Amino acid sequence: MPTALEGELEQLVGESGPVAGIPPDMLDGGLADDLAGASLAIARRFHAGATMWCVAPRWEPHAHHMAVEFVHPVIMGKRALPAFALCGPDVVAQTRVSVRPGDIVIAVADAGDRAVRDLMRRTPAWGALSVWIGSGARPPGGAADHVLWIEDPDPLAPATGRFVIMYHLLWELTHVCFEHSGLLSAPAAECTDEVCITCSDEGRLAEVILAPTSAFGTALVRTEAGEEHIDVTVVGPVSPGDLVLIHAGAALTRLDDEVVR
Amino acid sequence: MSVGAGAEATGFLYPFIDGQEKGTESLLTDLASSARSKVQESSALQCSTLVDCAEMLANAGAEMAARFASGGRMYAFGNGGSSTDAATFAALFAQPITGRPLPALNLAADQAVLTALGNDVGFELVFSRQIIAHSHSRDIAVAMSTSGSSADLMTALGEASRRGLLTIGFAGYDGGQMAGATEVDYCFVVGSQSIHRIQESQALLGYELWATVQRHLAADQHLGTDQHRAADKAAPMSQGPGGTA
Repeated sequence: MPTALEGELEQLVGESGPVAGIPPDMLDGGLADDLAGASLAIARRFHAGATMWCVAPRWEPHAHHMAVEFVHPVIMGKRALPAFALCGPDVVAQTRVSVRPGDIVIAVADAGDRAVRDLMRRTPAWGALSVWIGSGARPPGGAADHVLWIEDPDPLAPATGRFVIMYHLLWELTHVCFEHSGLLSAPAAECTDEVCITCSDEGRLAEVILAPTSAFGTALVRTEAGEEHIDVTVVGPVSPGDLVLIHAGAALTRLDDEVVR
Repeated sequence: MSVGAGAEATGFLYPFIDGQEKGTESLLTDLASSARSKVQESSALQCSTLVDCAEMLANAGAEMAARFASGGRMYAFGNGGSSTDAATFAALFAQPITGRPLPALNLAADQAVLTALGNDVGFELVFSRQIIAHSHSRDIAVAMSTSGSSADLMTALGEASRRGLLTIGFAGYDGGQMAGATEVDYCFVVGSQSIHRIQESQALLGYELWATVQRHLAADQHLGTDQHRAADKAAPMSQGPGGTA
């Protein structure tokens, strides 16, 4: 007969929590459609020559896994695609210097990850497609072009296969899209936001590269179309890294930190 | 797979904008339904894998907990995607969101060591040479693989076993060489032919192994407190009982 202590040990050790893995209905509620849309957008970008930049500040192995998935496919004969993991203490600076217009930035992070929030809000100024994978509380609407979210508060979700299957599916579906070459050219103006910024009067997002060197000088900024000089007299002094909305060659307003697009 | 046969046909019949939009819509529908069926497949495989491995998980978890309790540490390693899964597994032990942090290392993390060994002694020895350099008999070696037969992993598990480490292997398909190897104390096999589905189930196996270790350590802590309290019955502690996380 077990002693009281043994019984207690048995109870503690045998007590397993709810199964933490992939629920069969994980993609219900729109996530399947989100994955499909993100995969087609990614395939179109790769088709046009994009490189994929992968970040996951809290779970860096996920950034490496995403990159190796695309670079060295597990299925023989599938195209090797350019993808890099970016790690280290400043993912915003790392991505800024690496990314080119037309590229893809993909992150695995919580909605509260400040570096990734900052990274995602800058991607339009770099001309990059943004994809954000995470779980728990959702980021605010429009935080990235494609938000692939598991609305489960379990903080250990990143270690149970639920994130791995998300980027496995992205890879698998992206390669399915490659079999449909007729659909890989995006419509002329790819409108990913509610209002297409290139064909309306809306301001375009720009990131300051160099501040003006004189009172009446222009600032050098970066937009999805490349680098340009703009007038910043309306917004006042600017510093490298500042985000501004520009229209017709001038900065109209400055975006404060934490103002998500 | 059947995805897109219809989309191709539609694109051919309607080569202009309407046709392209229609083809896109049909492709997206097929992609979403393909994603849903893959998730269901993976979810079912995770469940059956946990059932099949329940006893081994309990035993391996208990042995790992005992080694951690006596000062052992864990080395996790793999190749490619599995090396990143080994890194996630090690991070779960070393920097858990809840529970006790435990010493766990990812042997693919250091590019200097990896390239030095790969260049000087050959890739087959990149992990086993590190086991030789770092390990003690109370430690744990965990190799993650889908084939179960990678030469660098088998060499490292053999070295670890000779040195008295607890050896654990993760494999897919039929388990490969790991399944029958006497050098592997516990071999968790995910019976699937898809590398992706195998890795997704291995992640959950790793998570369950971690949870089992944590439950053992919490229970040991709890019992330790109780025994201590029983011995001190005559002179109760002035403070209330400490919580056991």
